[in-house]
Amino acid sequence: MKEYGSIIKGTLEKFRPDFQMKNPVMFVTEIAFIISIFVMFFPSYFDAPSTGVYVSFYLAVAILLFLTLLFSNLSTTLSEEQSKSISASLKKMKTDTNANRVTDHGKETVPSDQLKSGDMVIVSAGEVIPGDGEVVSGSGYVNESNVTGESRPIRKLQGDSVTGSTILQTDELVIRITANPGETYIDKMIEIVEAAVREKTPNEIALSTLLSGLTLIFLMVTASIFALSNFLGFTSNLDILIVLLIALIPTTIGGLMPAIGIAAVNKISQFNVISKSGRAVENAGDVDTIILDKTGTVTMGDREAIRFYPNSGVQETEFMRYSALASLQDNTMEGMSIVKLAREKGVEVSVSDLAGFEFLPFSADTRFSGIKGKDTYIYKGALSTMLKNHKLSDTFIVALCKEISLRGGTALPVVKDGKFVGVIELNDTLKPGIKQRLDLLKKMNIKTIMCTGDDEVTASYFSNLSGIDEYVANSTPVDKFNVVISEKAKQRMVAMVGDGTNDAPALAKADVGMAMNKGTAPAKDAANMIDLDSDPTKLMDVIFIGKQILITRGALTTFSIANDVSKYFVIIPAMFYFIPALGALNILGLENPLTAITSALIFNTIIIPLMVPMAIRGVKYRPSSIAELFRRNILIYGLGGIIVPFLAIKVIYVLLSILGVGW
Amino acid sequence: MSYDPLGISSLSGYGNSFWQVNRVASGVVIILIYLAIVIIFGVIISGFISKIYRDQDNWLTPISGRIVSFFEKIIGEGSERQMKFREYFLTLLFFNAAAGVISFIFIFYQRDFPFAFANNHMTASLTFNTVSSFLTNTNLQHYSNPFDLSYLSQTFVITGLMFLSAGTGFAASMAFIRGILQDKGTIGNFYHDFLVSIFYLILPLTLLVTVILILSGIPETTLSYISVQPVFSSIAYKVPLGSVATLEAIKNIGTNGGGFYGANAAFPFENPNWFTNITEFTSFLLIPLGSIIALGKVFSNRRFMVMLVSVLMIFFVFTAFLTFYGEITGIPSLSTLGVIYNGNMVGKETAIGIAGSSIFSIGATITSTGASNAMLAAYSPAGLLGNLVNLLINDPVGGIGTGVLNIFTSVIFTVFIASLMVGKLPELMSIKIGSKEIKYSTLSLITHPLLIIIPLGVTLMIPSIMASFTNPKPDAITELLYEFATSASNNGSEVGGFLTNQVYFNVLDGIIMILGRYVIMGFQLKIADLFSNKKPKVEIGKSIDTGSFYFGLMLLGVMILVGLLSFFPILALGPILSWAKAFEQSIWMVIR
Repeated sequence: MKEYGSIIKGTLEKFRPDFQMKNPVMFVTEIAFIISIFVMFFPSYFDAPSTGVYVSFYLAVAILLFLTLLFSNLSTTLSEEQSKSISASLKKMKTDTNANRVTDHGKETVPSDQLKSGDMVIVSAGEVIPGDGEVVSGSGYVNESNVTGESRPIRKLQGDSVTGSTILQTDELVIRITANPGETYIDKMIEIVEAAVREKTPNEIALSTLLSGLTLIFLMVTASIFALSNFLGFTSNLDILIVLLIALIPTTIGGLMPAIGIAAVNKISQFNVISKSGRAVENAGDVDTIILDKTGTVTMGDREAIRFYPNSGVQETEFMRYSALASLQDNTMEGMSIVKLAREKGVEVSVSDLAGFEFLPFSADTRFSGIKGKDTYIYKGALSTMLKNHKLSDTFIVALCKEISLRGGTALPVVKDGKFVGVIELNDTLKPGIKQRLDLLKKMNIKTIMCTGDDEVTASYFSNLSGIDEYVANSTPVDKFNVVISEKAKQRMVAMVGDGTNDAPALAKADVGMAMNKGTAPAKDAANMIDLDSDPTKLMDVIFIGKQILITRGALTTFSIANDVSKYFVIIPAMFYFIPALGALNILGLENPLTAITSALIFNTIIIPLMVPMAIRGVKYRPSSIAELFRRNILIYGLGGIIVPFLAIKVIYVLLSILGVGW
Repeated sequence: MSYDPLGISSLSGYGNSFWQVNRVASGVVIILIYLAIVIIFGVIISGFISKIYRDQDNWLTPISGRIVSFFEKIIGEGSERQMKFREYFLTLLFFNAAAGVISFIFIFYQRDFPFAFANNHMTASLTFNTVSSFLTNTNLQHYSNPFDLSYLSQTFVITGLMFLSAGTGFAASMAFIRGILQDKGTIGNFYHDFLVSIFYLILPLTLLVTVILILSGIPETTLSYISVQPVFSSIAYKVPLGSVATLEAIKNIGTNGGGFYGANAAFPFENPNWFTNITEFTSFLLIPLGSIIALGKVFSNRRFMVMLVSVLMIFFVFTAFLTFYGEITGIPSLSTLGVIYNGNMVGKETAIGIAGSSIFSIGATITSTGASNAMLAAYSPAGLLGNLVNLLINDPVGGIGTGVLNIFTSVIFTVFIASLMVGKLPELMSIKIGSKEIKYSTLSLITHPLLIIIPLGVTLMIPSIMASFTNPKPDAITELLYEFATSASNNGSEVGGFLTNQVYFNVLDGIIMILGRYVIMGFQLKIADLFSNKKPKVEIGKSIDTGSFYFGLMLLGVMILVGLLSFFPILALGPILSWAKAFEQSIWMVIR
């Protein structure tokens, strides 16, 4: 119930003229509402007729104008409530605790909110990390679930960044604090979410200029009708002029614009991404180039066995069994993936099979691993090592290894008792769904550039496989920065993801720089967005949201302006019903002028709440080519914006007539 | 066929061939021929104009280039010294203001200069109006030519301002295009642009058209007048003469519109036959339409140009046929009185006819020329509405140079909304459009309607001013709306119907013309300034395709909704009411 209370309070508060002043369209509406109240009570003072039907008409106009303001305020308040609840949940994350600060004299206990940047603190297992910082020494598992929602503890080593209010579960860490009180990461997030309520993006500024300009014209046109009718020798009803004005000015977009802006940042927040400014979200919608890392973004990042190639004269199951046996005690990701793949293919191996064998783990010196029995052995290792160690030559195996490496994979030949039994192909794998996402980006005319430290062959293999447009192989963080610079020199909007300190310059230079929450503090500082879940593919979601916000604004503006056509054709002939010559303009054939005018105002009023869900959720955005999207939206919101109100006003008019509300 | 018991239609030389009998069909064909001719000549000159816009040499360079550099040497200015927006615009303003002041002094004291008659005189307010009118390329004439002006004023001041205003307009469009094409923060040198406009484009074309007009019988003489004594008249009339052909040429080439004679192109010495009619029509559309067609080559974007020309042609065709429809139907209620009625020939020259007059007046209002070969005051309400629509959208094809500026303003406005609808930030010619560009484009788009609506509302409230309107009230509204619309759009065509030469209208119209010209031009050049600081993006794929059908549709929608429909209430009580009135006798009695 408390929530309803604050919604009602927020909505009513916005009737204050100083609030409305920021939004010229609604400010004009408010003044019109005030005048309509005066007309209602003192019609004779405004030379307005005061017979029975007119009195109820004035009442209706006043109520409808009030509702227009109310709906606009309500939509803004609803968005604000949403961001309030987001910031409230952020505040909940913030846990005040005591910290053990290391000083020259030893340790001292201070409240966490007194820690300054540069302070050293010791955190023991089970304690809350008192502030944002960097691990100076020690290592341990940190539970970050209250910030990221990820319940699996993350291992933090020296140099890793930690977030305040997360919990150290094991061991002990010495942390150097990197944020002053009130400037911690969570503080910033709260500030951003709350600030979103006030800040206007350049795009919003442009749109409100445009809407104010239109409002000014309509204001003057309406005022000129006074002079016109005066000249023609009749008095025009002020209340009807007010209705005309309100119907013409773009109240739909004007009323919903603040809500759309706030909804933007909220939406991003719901994705567990914190954007430092609304502008970054808009820029995201306009991105031309995305710079992606290969590992972790395009591919899973772990090399896995993907196929077994037995040598000639060796059965496949036999070879798989040898490979699995050699890897059974190998705890590396590669070893485990070989056993897993073999088991998937129906090979049954267990530790008991290894009785009498000794496991030789991989070492940098020997460069192979495997098992060794009394008079038998199975080794796997790089081709060059195997050829040299065992003085073997096998053209088939050599050719096979070459072919595998050509498609970016790693060939792992297996030798049993001085003979090649086959080759295991190891390769990185694409993240599920990444190809479809990259296809969508391509459809949206966004260029993708993959930066990878891998060699040319691997880079080209994966960019072909996933549909990446360009790649930079053997890249260093400096290369990433250079790619950003060269794309920016082409005036393109660049987005990138980074987590390391050496990504920071590139992140700062990019228009949309998204840092991973697990990344280092400099990276997070340089970025304008932070992904709490540390999922680099989320950049694409952010782009979709950015686009959706722009589309929502554009669609509602078009709709709002297009609506005016019908209103001219309803209100003008109704206004001058006593000039039969203008009857030709009454294309809807609405006979009762006052009811017609009321119907137009009713449409104008109810369209706002009807559009609120769209404003807050955003226009449904199906990624498609720009031309297709443009065609669809111009037909729906442009042409629809012309036709729909005609139909709706007619329907409202008929309904009013049925209800007997003929003034 | 209309009721024709006396067989007048066959007697009056209409003949009996299909085209002679079906006057609607022949009128449609005539209008289409005019449109086709103007497009053909627009395309022919567009290559030449695009070279000027891109600062490239062309076949006139050997001659004109020398003249331009000769003048540049004298004034010590040249294209090497590039100006930023502020300097460029201030130079333009100062140059125009200086010309205005000098012209004002000259005309106001013209009797003290040689070659003047005693009756050559203008009041201060009329002088102000006349100077602002010719300075701003409007050529609205509140005086009755030529007795108010001395021969010297006519030859030097008026003709001089006609060249100056045309050159200024074209220079502004050169600066605007340079702002888009370049990214050095400068938009050119005004003096250079002005000289180039005059010596490469306006003067050569004026000479060419002068020759054509002389050959087709328009006077070009040093005689001051001839005496004519009509057969049935006892007195001889003096018909003034002079360099009519030259004035006619610059009047049309420079989209000026103010003629040698008060009756403008309706006077036989200005426009004697169908050939001169079509020549003059083509010459005032030549540069405005040619400049827009040139944009295709300038920006290497043919689709964009085709889209622009198509949108403009929709306005052209629509307004031309609306006016033609209005004139060929005339006053329908007259037919019920049993009168043979073959369209509204009142105030039209028989040598030119209804179709030739309709398309001519539409051509003159769709550009900022405002020349007329028929009396607009005698047009039917629908016929006048066609012209008025063009004025209210601020002359869609525009004046010389200003057409390019105006269409870009609307395009920027449209691109903004269109880009939002596809989830992109707006860009034009691969240049990002920021919030400031939107601000100035909005400002320049709303200035025009405000300059019309506010004076209209105010004037209607002053009974003493409205007393000089003699026509029925809806017609008076139309006339007043037309007066301010023609001033604000710097068009200059006039309906009249009231005492135009009074201090109130002289001063008010003068101010509207000046604001309509320089304020809007200032906003537009400011946009060029903002563009001049931005580098174009190397495109990956197309952003909004400004050459697409749907973009054209949207541009059309924006121009109609923002430009035209905001006048809907006024139109309803003015021309639409008069039009409807023409069908219904009863309303005459109600609103009188």
